[in-house]
Amino acid sequence: MSLTTLTTPHHATTVTSAAAARAVNVAKRYGAGDATVTALDDVSVAVDRGRFTAIMGPSGSGKSTLLHVLAGLDRPTSGEVYLGDTEITSLRDKRLTMLRRDRIGFIFQSFNLLPTLTAAENIVLPMRIAGRKPDPDWVASIVDTVGLSDRLEHRPAQLSGGQQQRVAAARALASRPEIVFADEPTGALDSRSGAELLGFLRSAVDELGQTVVMVTHDPKAAGYADRVLFLADGRIADEMHAPSAEDVLDYMKNLGA
Amino acid sequence: MFTATFRSMVAHKLRLLLTTASIALGVALLAGTLILTNTMGIAFDMLFGKIGSGTDAVVRTEAPYTQTDGVGTNRGPIDAAVLDQVRQVDGVRAAEGSVQGYALLTDTHGRAVTTNGGAPTNGYSMPSDKELRGDVELLSGHAPTTAHEVAIDATSAEKHHIPLGATIKVLFQGPTQEFTVVGTVGYGDGIKDLGGTTSAYFDPATAQQVLGTPGKFDLIQVSAEKGVSQAQLAKRLSQVIPAGTEAVTGAAVAKENADATKSNFQIVGILFGIFAGIALFVGSFIIWNTFTMTVTQRSREIALLRAIGAKRRQVLGSLLLEALGLGVLASAAGFALGIGVAKGLKWLMDSVGLALPFTSLQIEASQVLICLAVGVGVTVASAMVPARRATKVLPIEALRESAPGTETPSKRRTVVGLAVIAAGAAGLLDALYADGGMKVFGLGLAAAMVGVIIALPVAVRPMARAIGVPLRLRGLPAELAEQNATRNPKRTSATAAALMIGLTLVVSMGVFASSLKASFGDVLSDQVDADLYVVTSSAQAPGYSPSVLAAVANTDGVDKVSATGWGMARFDGQDTGYSSIDPDTAAEVLNVGVTQGSLADLGPDDVMVTKSAATAHGWKVGDTVTSEFAETGTHQLHVAAIYKGKGWISDDFVVSRAAQDALAGPQLVTGAFVTIAAGVDRAEVQDGISAALADHPDAKVLDRAGFEKEASGFIDQLLTFMTVMLALAVMIALLGIVNTLALSVFERTRELGLLRAVGMTRGQVRAMVRWESAVISLIGAVSGAALGIGIGLAMSQVLKDEGIKSISIPVAQIAVYVAVAAVAGVVAALGPARAAAKVDVLKAVVTD
Repeated sequence: MSLTTLTTPHHATTVTSAAAARAVNVAKRYGAGDATVTALDDVSVAVDRGRFTAIMGPSGSGKSTLLHVLAGLDRPTSGEVYLGDTEITSLRDKRLTMLRRDRIGFIFQSFNLLPTLTAAENIVLPMRIAGRKPDPDWVASIVDTVGLSDRLEHRPAQLSGGQQQRVAAARALASRPEIVFADEPTGALDSRSGAELLGFLRSAVDELGQTVVMVTHDPKAAGYADRVLFLADGRIADEMHAPSAEDVLDYMKNLGA
Repeated sequence: MFTATFRSMVAHKLRLLLTTASIALGVALLAGTLILTNTMGIAFDMLFGKIGSGTDAVVRTEAPYTQTDGVGTNRGPIDAAVLDQVRQVDGVRAAEGSVQGYALLTDTHGRAVTTNGGAPTNGYSMPSDKELRGDVELLSGHAPTTAHEVAIDATSAEKHHIPLGATIKVLFQGPTQEFTVVGTVGYGDGIKDLGGTTSAYFDPATAQQVLGTPGKFDLIQVSAEKGVSQAQLAKRLSQVIPAGTEAVTGAAVAKENADATKSNFQIVGILFGIFAGIALFVGSFIIWNTFTMTVTQRSREIALLRAIGAKRRQVLGSLLLEALGLGVLASAAGFALGIGVAKGLKWLMDSVGLALPFTSLQIEASQVLICLAVGVGVTVASAMVPARRATKVLPIEALRESAPGTETPSKRRTVVGLAVIAAGAAGLLDALYADGGMKVFGLGLAAAMVGVIIALPVAVRPMARAIGVPLRLRGLPAELAEQNATRNPKRTSATAAALMIGLTLVVSMGVFASSLKASFGDVLSDQVDADLYVVTSSAQAPGYSPSVLAAVANTDGVDKVSATGWGMARFDGQDTGYSSIDPDTAAEVLNVGVTQGSLADLGPDDVMVTKSAATAHGWKVGDTVTSEFAETGTHQLHVAAIYKGKGWISDDFVVSRAAQDALAGPQLVTGAFVTIAAGVDRAEVQDGISAALADHPDAKVLDRAGFEKEASGFIDQLLTFMTVMLALAVMIALLGIVNTLALSVFERTRELGLLRAVGMTRGQVRAMVRWESAVISLIGAVSGAALGIGIGLAMSQVLKDEGIKSISIPVAQIAVYVAVAAVAGVVAALGPARAAAKVDVLKAVVTD
């Protein structure tokens, strides 16, 4: 997949801060008293602009919680979260929702698409929600890149799992968000479809300067990232830069041992 | 399985609540109806039992025939001389002649003591023998004994502040007279009036004069000596009384009276029953809908149960058990609610002017049983189809991801639906243009309605698309709403159908009433050439005294007064109503379209008939028509004229007023046309007549506009009553919408979460659900309005021969109904919309 035909997203020039998103002393606890479960324990981390960051960790390590908190889908118990220069934990629901709509792209593990809408309609959904007209050339180029041109009028039920995830990826990029959050995007895919999707995300970073944050438990997926954060027991345990899949796998093995 | 059933019921509290509410409302209406009609029936029994309680036997003339219209049997008066014969009979302790007739009380200011909704205003003779009075008792003062004394019912005295010793006017069929009030009357147990009627009591001789005919009684009441049974007494009396008279036991008479009055009000019971039926029918849609959704939602759960070894029958049993539990719960709640409904209905009837006797609410075990049986029956029957479908869930489905997709109604449904509609339409056309008759008409209507309900899912998508055209301008939430509404056409149509049925009935009534009013106006323009109209003061009063006519005729500027009347008789073996007119003046004011003979020739032994009646019986001018009058027996009347057809006169037979007086006894006037002399001012004459009627509070004068308004006012009153009743059905339909939406929101939790995640605000989510509701409501309202207009037109058309000549569609009114339904739909969506907006984004989008 190639993104050479695409122009650079305009946001790159409008945001000045170095980090695309930051968590500052973020904690997330569930329950109270003896039953308290700590999902995130005083995490501070910055997501670099224009890079592909993967978050890894065993089940219950808090990796998904970190992603949800960074993406404004969940609120931390304490600490601050910034998207660019905007502190988002203090935002009211409506502002936060609009922020997600206008500045963030999402790819979930499954159920990314509205069953009643066609692929094309799903791709422009956030912009339609905002009542904005999508840029047709931009959308067309994205669609072309993910290879969905002949599937645009299909409904999700008529698409394969891989195709559905590519529609989700196209949607995440179509509104030119500052950051794309992907929560186990390949979790429900076969390895070939998964590789396609990851390749697509990789080239979005390389060629468009798109910022991508992805939670995964798959070392192969993490191998596509520029930087891998390892979470354990709600804390950032370690990180790797530009690792290969084998590096990640080895590290995970040691972590498990 | 029992535990599973119970747990799943409790787990879905909202669904339980909504379904319970819908069936409970239906049962409540049914229970209210049963309680109210039973209460009314018992009230009637009490009344007649009370009046007749001291009478062991009654001597009266034999009725020439028994009228079948439910008003009871009219019979001629009995000769006063028979009373002497009766008193000679062994075992007779006391016997007195009894007379009853029209007597309108006035208060001390001369204002008429009108009854609620035109309940009768009666005058009676007061027996001097206390036992013969039955439960009629003097609460104050004494019984009337002279020609200038009257006793009145205590309610009239209290409500209208008529003290003992006051002098009041009482209006009769004959001249008005003044009386001194010497007593107030009650009926035992604290009852102060006879089911909302007013009563005036006179001594028997005075009663004969003012209420009946001197020398005649209506009947003779007899009280037996101790040790003589009613049957023995009646038997002994039978042996001495003259031919043409009969003696019957007091018990038999009381029963006759009660039955006659009850059958009069039976129509009310039937009407209520129909409404309760509609409510239950609509409620059953909701239950069907709920269970269908239950099955869909629980298909995984059910499949799991099947996978771990539950038999089909066990799954079916579990679901039916749920329905049974729900039915019992809802029916019990509904019955409790029904007690309130009975009170509400009574209030409603009072306020639109249908007065009925009333006593404390009569609740019986049988009513509880009926309501339980109907409520549970409807619930279980409605749940049967979806429950059977549940048993077809394959265990493998437990593994399948349940994403609520779109469904398309089957072709078979389209074909069957259209076929049933076509059959219904054929029946309607046959009834309208061939000679199908009312039965075919009714069947056609029912078939058309059922067909529409069957085919409605097919129409859901095109309709939603049409409704969606303006919606699309409202942005994405509205657009998604339209799609969501059409996602499951069967569910949407079942939800909308409930509303459709209510709207269909309201709108068809509206069209019918509107046509009725328009026809009235047209007939008035075409057939009546009067300047002023003298009518009864209260729209439901039986008529006014003929003495009014003289007062009007003597007013300055009045040229002619032409009175009309009405009665029941049997012509050529057929019981029917007839009109009476004044042949001397009718030709000037009334253009009924006489085709043969002349209206002016209508003599005392003559009858005028419609062309259709003449054709049916082969009558020509000069032929004789065998006519039986309950009061005077059989007469041979000659056909003096034949007229075009029903119009202003809505009967097939017309006699002169003189003939009516002779054949059916002295009559009240139901209305009169007034023409004014050339050159005088109509308003002045109207004022003059009003002044002249000051002494006749039973009548009033109206101009053309006022007359039309008066006539349509009655139609409007009935329409209001129907609309209020149907509003209840619509309310149940709205519960159905809440139900459907709540379940749809539940089903679409993940979608809603996704939408929220990618940026849909709570407000937009709420709007989306509200629009969806508006689309569903509009589908129901618009199809209901369309169907209602069709049915209303058909009803008007089929009654063309009964005088509905004009067709009128109250467009504005129907538009309001549709708009109200849409708005109500939006209001119904408030709860589900809030639930949708509260969906937890994380739970929805995270795969567990």
